[in-house]
Amino acid sequence: MSGALAERAFARKIEKMGFADVWIGERIPYGVERAALYPLFTPPVIDLMRELIPPERQAAVAVSVIAKATKPSG
Amino acid sequence: MTEDLMFQDQIKDVVREAYSHIETGAGRLAAQQLYLDAELASLPPGAVDWALGVGNPVRHAELRRGEVVLDVGSGGGIDTILAARAVGSSGRAIGLDLLREMGERAERHAKEAGVEAWTEFVTGEMEQIPLPDACIDVVISNGVINLSPRKSRVLAEIRRVLKPGGRLCVADLTVNDELPTELQTSDAAWAG
Repeated sequence: MSGALAERAFARKIEKMGFADVWIGERIPYGVERAALYPLFTPPVIDLMRELIPPERQAAVAVSVIAKATKPSG
Repeated sequence: MTEDLMFQDQIKDVVREAYSHIETGAGRLAAQQLYLDAELASLPPGAVDWALGVGNPVRHAELRRGEVVLDVGSGGGIDTILAARAVGSSGRAIGLDLLREMGERAERHAKEAGVEAWTEFVTGEMEQIPLPDACIDVVISNGVINLSPRKSRVLAEIRRVLKPGGRLCVADLTVNDELPTELQTSDAAWAG
């Protein structure tokens, strides 16, 4: 999660690398409780997230998106 | 900005280490939030248990019979198996994962799902995909690109292996507010 980009930066990076028709959609909030389901987030990190991230942001620390794009034919 | 806080090689090692030590994926509870009940019911239990993604890229990829699909960061194989079913035996599904043991696990799941004849798993890095140029119709990926400290390189590699007119369809995490520094430098927060 720490390597995730902002949505706009992610879309721009895809475009910059030569893709066309970039589309971003299906946004799903990814909060602390959801992160806790994943074994890659250890209990100390989940505790750190609960401690450091303001309560109003804990339900959507990140947002999972679908990004679609096309490699131009030409 | 986060790339400044940990060196690229350090991040890569952290991710490799974290994934090689986990004993299961996020499991059925997490998968139920991303996949249809019918999809989950049709999959080998191991593939569901080892799901580690953050979305359902196959649902959005508009895969067609006969297409060749590459799943970047295939993990336990859940999306590779779903993609293999969508393209059918006239197509091909290739899973790429950093860890050989993950590929072996996914191979077992693909066999249980009955798609092994047109599915293969290769070991390699997403920053250096071990496939020739322009051999793939569709690249899918699920919660993996955010793990790379070299995202431009990953996208360049995906573009290289796609055929002209080929499609990219990935699920990934984005953040709209910067994470606290303690989390940006946390190994586990990079791997998760």
